[in-house]
Amino acid sequence: MARADSLAKLAFAYGVHLTRRKLTRPHSQLAKLLDTYTQDGVRPLLPEERARHPNMIGCINCGLCALAAGRMGSVRLPDLATSYMRLYARLGAAASDVDGESPDLAAAAAACPVGVPLDEVAAIVRRLAAG
Amino acid sequence: MTGAGIARDLSLRGLSVLLLEKGDWGGGTTGSSSWMIHGGPRYLEFDWDTTRLSTQDAGYIVSIAKNMVYRVVFIIPVLPHDKNNIERMETAMEVYDRFQPLKHAHPHLRLTADEARQAEPGLSADIIGAVTMEEWGVDPHRLVFANVQDAVSHGARALNHTRVVHLLRDGGKVIGVRYHGPDGSMSEARSRVVVNAAGPWVPEVSRMAGASVHLRPAKGIHIVYPHRISNFSISAESIDGRDLLLVSHAGFSLLGTTDDDFYGDLDSVDVLEDEVDYLLQAFERVFPSIRDYRPVRTTTGVRPTLFKWRRYEDELSRRYEVIDHAPDGAEGFVTIAGGKLSMYRLMAEETADVVCRKLGHQAPSVTATRPLPGNESDVEPPDELGRRFGITALAAMKLQTRHGSNAAAVLNESHAGRMVCRCEPITEAELVHAARHEQVRTLADAFRRVGLAAGPCAGAACVLRAAGVIGNELGWSASQRFDAAHEFIRGAWLGRAPVLGHSGWAQEELAIGSLRGLGNKLSRN
Repeated sequence: MARADSLAKLAFAYGVHLTRRKLTRPHSQLAKLLDTYTQDGVRPLLPEERARHPNMIGCINCGLCALAAGRMGSVRLPDLATSYMRLYARLGAAASDVDGESPDLAAAAAACPVGVPLDEVAAIVRRLAAG
Repeated sequence: MTGAGIARDLSLRGLSVLLLEKGDWGGGTTGSSSWMIHGGPRYLEFDWDTTRLSTQDAGYIVSIAKNMVYRVVFIIPVLPHDKNNIERMETAMEVYDRFQPLKHAHPHLRLTADEARQAEPGLSADIIGAVTMEEWGVDPHRLVFANVQDAVSHGARALNHTRVVHLLRDGGKVIGVRYHGPDGSMSEARSRVVVNAAGPWVPEVSRMAGASVHLRPAKGIHIVYPHRISNFSISAESIDGRDLLLVSHAGFSLLGTTDDDFYGDLDSVDVLEDEVDYLLQAFERVFPSIRDYRPVRTTTGVRPTLFKWRRYEDELSRRYEVIDHAPDGAEGFVTIAGGKLSMYRLMAEETADVVCRKLGHQAPSVTATRPLPGNESDVEPPDELGRRFGITALAAMKLQTRHGSNAAAVLNESHAGRMVCRCEPITEAELVHAARHEQVRTLADAFRRVGLAAGPCAGAACVLRAAGVIGNELGWSASQRFDAAHEFIRGAWLGRAPVLGHSGWAQEELAIGSLRGLGNKLSRN
């Protein structure tokens, strides 16, 4: 009975929806989506970041990059790749951690046994932390 | 979860409560959930009342656990031959919007295919449009423990790793329990009412009272990715028309879930590679690069669904039932069966109402409005907390998601700035606090309580160090510490084996190497 009632109400809602779609002109809601959730840190990756993303998260936390280069801000490079690169929605609240000088990221990337592009990791973390 | 909620509810009403958990808090069905407090738009097809109750109670949980919850925003892409076309999908969201204010969530939005791909560039070129939907995320292990903490602070006793082995009876009455403690001791506790809130183990406990409760247990698995693959969560349709979700949580993603009748041993539920392939097959239709991502493990659990014949698993109701077993000849014995995480508080309240009626105790439930521990006030900015204790703002922020406004008190426990697990990240102070005050007795308990080894390295860099910190608190010898690490890694392997790819094996080699190296060092010491 509950199922029949639910389906009947959904069917009515479907009719109302189709009628409304015929009577109103659709408008873009993308800007509203981004505005609504920016304060929660829910923001899109850029297309080029998305394409490279699987490579950026391959860190196995071996620590070799830390031997090859120093810190970025107050963050050890392995932590940048394993922890900060997890794309916390609230990364903006930790922006102060990645402020400051960049180390030799090319040397660090060259030392990585699984080929994590640490320069790209640093760029995406800083972009997301900046909000 | 429900047991902890009932203990909290009853202790807040002034009753004397003993809570017994055979494993660890949240170690069963709760921890294997999708980590969401959600309303369940899926139930609109079956029973709007379940959606209403679920969203309403989700709203209460969001209010009492404000420092533990975060928004989870879904993009629901529609492909040309999906079960629901874009108009039907938007209709469902329009209906769901009526309930969303109950849980402080925003209404849906509709996106064209191009807009959806701008919001999430990884979506398939084949999609024809999308709608959005909002839910709340929560760490269910912390939610359980916050309930336990509050119950204990109001006079309850709560014991984990303690298994009920027998119900004490006096004629037609259940008058208490006999239980097996973690140290091997056997004890008894007498009570006027015994509540069976054992989730999928409900029938087993009911049989101890000579009562029968019929469930239809359903197994579900998730694939865990140790990163947030996308900031938006995404849904997909499976080969058999079910809705699957890639849920973006604080720093990881859950892809799930399956829903299959389960007839096996509830204490030994394995993940099959076929189940993993079922999820990946569905998801790569909408997100083609999913197989490029390295999962870190799987989770599996069994839902305690109420019994119904001639229904597909996915069509089973998530409703619950509070059963007073007095008519079965077991006066003083009450079971709560069915339900889901999002309604745990309501289930607990209704069960507590039945208990109070039986006891003639008149006190209303206050759990809908009284904040859980650590949620009484707003948290301070993470960078300020981090500066005060010499840790990064990220470490401070993560700590606050687990302890809320009590984070500073946790850091005061001991060497605040020393990091044990860098992936999460977790400080030594938090582990010490967990061992001293949060009933952590094993490394797996620490995984649940503070997220130890939950990150990309799956513990390769931290398990032995954590065994040292916890062992120090609990008085473990060097060999006990090594055994604890070994046991943890062996247990974690069962969930990891079904999803290890090429880079997963690189991680595994590193873990084995570091364990051998540090093991030798430990044995020399």
